[in-house]
Amino acid sequence: MFNNSSKILFITMMIIGTLITVTSNSWLGAWMGLEINLLSFIPLMSDNNNFKSTEASLKYFLTQALASTVLLFAVILLMLKNNLNSEINESFISMIMLSTLLLKSGAAPFHFWFPNLMEGLTWMNALMLMTWQKIAPLMLISYLNLKNLLMISVILSVIVGAIGGLNQTSLRKLMAFSSINHLGWMLSALTISESIWMIYFLFYSFLSFVLTFMFNIFKLFHLNQLFSWFLQNKILKFTLFMNFLSLGGLPPFLGFLPKWIVIQQLTFCNQYFQLMILLMSTLITLFFYLRICYSAFMLNYSENNWAMNSHINNFNMNLYTIMTFLSIFGLFLISLFYFMF
Amino acid sequence: MKYLSICSISFLNLIFISMTCFVLSLNFMLNNMVYFIEWEVVSLNSMSIVMTFLFDWMSLLFMSFVLMISSLVIYYSKEYMSSDVNINRFIMLVLMFVLSMMLLIISPNMISILLGWDGLGLVSYCLVIYFQNVKSYNAGMLTALSNRIGDVALLLAIAWMLNYGSWNYIFYLEVMQNEFEMMIIGSLVMLAAMTKSAQIPFSSWLPAAMAAPTPVSALVHSSTLVTAGVYLLIRFNILLENSWLGQLLLLLSGLTMFMAGLGANFEFDLKKIIALSTLSQLGLMMSILSMGFYKLAMFHLLTHALFKALLFMCAGAIIHNMNNSQDIRLMGGLSIHMPLTSACFNVSNLALCGMPFLAGFYSKDMILEVVMISNVNMFSFFLYFFSTGLTVCYSFRLVYYTMTGDLNCSSLNMLNDEGWIMLRGMMGLLIMSIIGGSTLNWLIFPIPYMICLPLYMKLLTLFVCISGGLFGYVISLMKLYTLNKSLMLYNTTSFLGSMWFMPFMSTYGIIFYPLNLGQIVSKSFDQGWSEYFGGQHLYNKLMTYSQTLFLMHNNNLKIYLLLFVFWILILFNFLLFL
Repeated sequence: MFNNSSKILFITMMIIGTLITVTSNSWLGAWMGLEINLLSFIPLMSDNNNFKSTEASLKYFLTQALASTVLLFAVILLMLKNNLNSEINESFISMIMLSTLLLKSGAAPFHFWFPNLMEGLTWMNALMLMTWQKIAPLMLISYLNLKNLLMISVILSVIVGAIGGLNQTSLRKLMAFSSINHLGWMLSALTISESIWMIYFLFYSFLSFVLTFMFNIFKLFHLNQLFSWFLQNKILKFTLFMNFLSLGGLPPFLGFLPKWIVIQQLTFCNQYFQLMILLMSTLITLFFYLRICYSAFMLNYSENNWAMNSHINNFNMNLYTIMTFLSIFGLFLISLFYFMF
Repeated sequence: MKYLSICSISFLNLIFISMTCFVLSLNFMLNNMVYFIEWEVVSLNSMSIVMTFLFDWMSLLFMSFVLMISSLVIYYSKEYMSSDVNINRFIMLVLMFVLSMMLLIISPNMISILLGWDGLGLVSYCLVIYFQNVKSYNAGMLTALSNRIGDVALLLAIAWMLNYGSWNYIFYLEVMQNEFEMMIIGSLVMLAAMTKSAQIPFSSWLPAAMAAPTPVSALVHSSTLVTAGVYLLIRFNILLENSWLGQLLLLLSGLTMFMAGLGANFEFDLKKIIALSTLSQLGLMMSILSMGFYKLAMFHLLTHALFKALLFMCAGAIIHNMNNSQDIRLMGGLSIHMPLTSACFNVSNLALCGMPFLAGFYSKDMILEVVMISNVNMFSFFLYFFSTGLTVCYSFRLVYYTMTGDLNCSSLNMLNDEGWIMLRGMMGLLIMSIIGGSTLNWLIFPIPYMICLPLYMKLLTLFVCISGGLFGYVISLMKLYTLNKSLMLYNTTSFLGSMWFMPFMSTYGIIFYPLNLGQIVSKSFDQGWSEYFGGQHLYNKLMTYSQTLFLMHNNNLKIYLLLFVFWILILFNFLLFL
C-alpha cells in the first residue's frame, strides 16, 4: 500500500480533507473537506484483485454521498433562512445535519452500513475507517448544540455495539461493533467537553491500532485463527488478549482511563441514566472479549494440530512490545507521571 | 550407596535431647527450681504479646519423656515405614509434631501456647491423612474439626484474658480464682482440653484417628497429643478445685472412662481397641485431675505414655506381620510365632491392667486408693472401679484373641519375629515400662501419700481386676456350639460397641441438616432460580437480541439509505409545518 505512489497521494488528500473540515469556519467549507476526504478514501479502499473491497468502496461511496448531499441540502436551507455563519438555533435543521453526520460516522440508528463495509476492507483500511474517518464528522457534531437526539444515538450506539458483538466470529465485524460502542462513548464525551472527547479518541485510536497492527501482520480475520496462529508463541497470544481487554476497558489496563474520565464527568453532570447504560453495555462487551480470551488465560485449552508458524520481524515485534507495554501498564504509568510532575 | 537414614539422625538427636532434659529435670526437682524466660514480641496498647518459656521439673520431665518416646518411635519407623516412598516427609512431620509438643509444654502463656496447640492440630491432621485414601481423609477431617472447637475455645479464652492485661495465666490463676471472668476462661480452657483429650462429647475422633500409620498412633494418639489437654488442665488445675468446673469434668471424664472401657470389649480392630483403652486412661487422668490431684494425673500421664506407646508399637509389629490386617479375629497363637513381640505386648498389657510392680501399677493403684480415701459420690466411685475392671477385661480378651489358640489367618502366611529394628525400638520402651513406674514414683513423690484403708477396701482394686480378667476370658471363650452372646442383645451391643453412637452424632448428627439445607439451597438457588433469572437468562436474552439485530443487518443497503431519506423527509416536514 505504501509502495504505491498514487496511494500516497490519496492518503495525503484524505488527511487534507479532514483538516479542511475541522478548520473551516463555514459549513460549506466543512462540506467541501468531507467530500475531498470521501473521494480520496475510496481509491484507497478499492483493490482490483478483491471484489469485496470494490463492493465495500461502492457502499461507502453511496452512503457517504447521500449523507453529504443531505448535509449540503441542510446547509443551504440554513443559509436561506439565516446567514451562512450564524449560530444554529433551528432545531430541525440541526437535527437533519446531525442525522447526516451520524450517518457519516456510523453511529447507531444509522450504523447499518458500517459492519458490512468493514467486512470487505483490509486491516489498515479498517483502522482508518474506525479512527481517522471519525474525526471530521465528530468535530462537526461538536458544533451542533443538540443534546436529545445525540443522547438517543449514544444509547443506541452502545447497546448495538455491545449486543452486535456477542454472536460474532469475524474479527473485522467484531472490531466494527466495538467501534460503534466506543463511538457511543465518544459522543457522550462530546456532550460534556471537546477535550474529553479528544482524549477518548486518542486512546481509542491507540488501542485499536495495537490490535489491528497485529491482525494485519498475521492476517487474522476470524476468531478461530486466533487460537491456531499463536500456538508457537504463548506470550504473544497472552499479550494480544490483554490488549483486547484493554480495548474493552477492564480497569488495570490503559483502556479504562478514558472511560474513567468520561464516567467521572458524566457523574458530575448528573447524567446517571446515560452513564448506567454505557456501563452496562461495556460489561457486555467485556463479557465477549473475556469469552474470546478464555483459551489464552486458562491453563488448559485445546490446541489445533494444524498450527502454522507465525513470523514477525524484529522491528514490528519491538513496536508491538512497546505499544503493548503502554496498553497494559499505561494506567500505572500515568499515575507515576502525575506524581513526577 | 547407602545413605545415613533420616530416622537414625533424628533418633540420635532426640534421644540426646531427651537425656539432657531428664538430667535437667532431676536437677530442677532436687533444687526446687523454676526458670522463666520471657521474650517480648510486640507491645500493643499496653498489652504485650510475649513468648514465654517455663522450665520446671514437670515440663522438663514431660519433655524428656516425649522426646524419648518419639526418638524410639522414629527409630521404629525406620523399618515399619521402610517401604514407603515418602518416609522423609513422614519423619519430618513427626519432628514437626515433636516441636509443636515442646512449644506447648514449655509455654505458660496463652498466646505462645496457641502456637504449639495449633501446630499439634495441623500436624496431627497431616499425619492422620498420611495414607491418602477416603477413610483417612474422613478421619483426618473429624480429627481436625473436633480439635478446631478447642482452638476456638482457646482463642476466646485469649480474648477474655485481655481483661487482665497479660496472657501469662500462671500469675492470675490463684489471685483471680473466684472472679467471674476467670471462671469463663477456665471453662473455655476446659473445653479446649476436652477436645484435645477426646473427652465425652468429642470422643469420636480418637478411634477414627487410627487411620494414621501405627508409629504415629504410638506417638501421637497415645502418649503425647491426647495428653496435651490433660497437661493444659494440669497447668490450670487451680481453677478446677472447689468449683463446678471440676465437678462437671469429673462426671464427663468418668463417663468417658466407662464408655471407652465398655466399647473396647466389643471392638475387633486391634488398633481401635488400644485407642479406646487410651481413651479410658485419659478419662482416668482427667477425673483424678478434676478431683485436684494434679501430681497424680501427671504421674499417670507419664507412665501411661510409656506402656501405651509400647503397646502400639507391638500392635504395629503384629499388623506389619499380618500383612496390614488389623482384625484380631484373624490373629491367634502369636505367642508361638512372635515370642519376643508377644512378650512386649503382654508386659505392656499387664502394665495397663496395673499388674504389681510394672509401670501402670504405681500410678493406677495410687489413683484408685486416693479415690477411695477421698470424698466422692457413689456414681463416680462406681465408674472408677468398674472401668478398672473393664480395662483388665478387654486386655484379657485381647490376649485371648491374639496370643492363644491357632492362627486364624490364611493357611499360607509368613510370620516372623525378626524385625530387629522394630524390636530394638520396642526393647527400649519395654525396659521403661517395667521400671518407669517405680522410678517416677520415687522421683515425683519424695514424701509418700498417707493412705489408710480397711483391708476389704485395700483389696477391692485387686478383686476388681481379677474378676475383670476372669470376665474377659469367659466372655470371649468360644467353642463350636457357643451361643453368640452379643447377638442376643443386638441393640445394646451396637449401642455400647459404637461408643454410645458418638461417631454418628458428631459427624452425621451435626452435619445432616446443614448439609441437606445446603443441597436444597444449592439446587434451588445457586443452580436454580438465581441461575435462571441471573446469568443464564440474561445470556439467552442477549443472544436472542443479538440474533434479531443480525436479521436487521442482513438487508440490502438501499433499504437503509431509503430509511435514512424517509427520516430526513419527516424532519423536513416538521421543519416546514411547524
